Amino acid sequence: MAVSERPVESALTGWVTIVWDDPVNLMSYVTHVFTTYFGYPESKATDLMLQVHNSGKAVVSTGAREQMETDVDAMHGYGLWATLEPV
Amino acid sequence: MRDFRRQGPVINMRLTDYEATLLESLVEQFCGLLEADAEAVDHADPFARWQAELDGGEPLDRTDPVIVRLFPDAYPEDPIGSDEFRRLTQSRQRTERLDQAEIVMSALRDSDAGKHPVQVRLIDLPSWLKTLTAVRLSLAVRLGIRTSEDAEELDELPETDPKAYVFRVYEWVAYLTENLLALA
Repeated sequence: MAVSERPVESALTGWVTIVWDDPVNLMSYVTHVFTTYFGYPESKATDLMLQVHNSGKAVVSTGAREQMETDVDAMHGYGLWATLEPV
Repeated sequence: MRDFRRQGPVINMRLTDYEATLLESLVEQFCGLLEADAEAVDHADPFARWQAELDGGEPLDRTDPVIVRLFPDAYPEDPIGSDEFRRLTQSRQRTERLDQAEIVMSALRDSDAGKHPVQVRLIDLPSWLKTLTAVRLSLAVRLGIRTSEDAEELDELPETDPKAYVFRVYEWVAYLTENLLALA
């Protein structure tokens, strides 16, 4: 029998916002966007920025689809390359 | 000489007349891009206006790679979902971007082509950062910067290459952004 092994959190929320690396946006600016828009502490924002820079992408927020669309829309407004997808 | 100085709620940015005029023209070009429609809508025709509104505003020209970069697909695997997302968001994004650009233009005009320091009010900083970023994204597309290696190659072009000049401008806009961020 197939047993769903989805983590509880993703079952509740279902969607993620992903920010992709691009060669244009400045590291300081990307960190600034993460602290300003998401209200993340400087250390978390810096970690996420480095993850984008080093791994090519990072999940920057998790939640319901509608909220993720709002986040993606906001990231586009900042000039960041962002997408959403189901977990 | 300090080119950027914060005084309370304002950052004073010193630009030469050449720099102020250059920045104005870059922001103006960016606005022109956002104002250009894919197909002109007949504003005298109420039905055409209504249809355009239903479509989420007049479509932008997506054959222009700069537009594609500024309004990327929200759903990379789902073109229909991405179109729908744009239908819901693009018109407002476009208006916001033009309003932000106007804030920058207005401060540049007030500096009287760099005669006075450009006053960047802290409450306007988001508009400045977003507009400068959009200008850099546009220049990057025109310069063909897709990877960091592309940028390194451009950095090594001889000064006589016309692209070398555009790349210097691109780097200068980054310098302005960094300095504004540092004083935020």
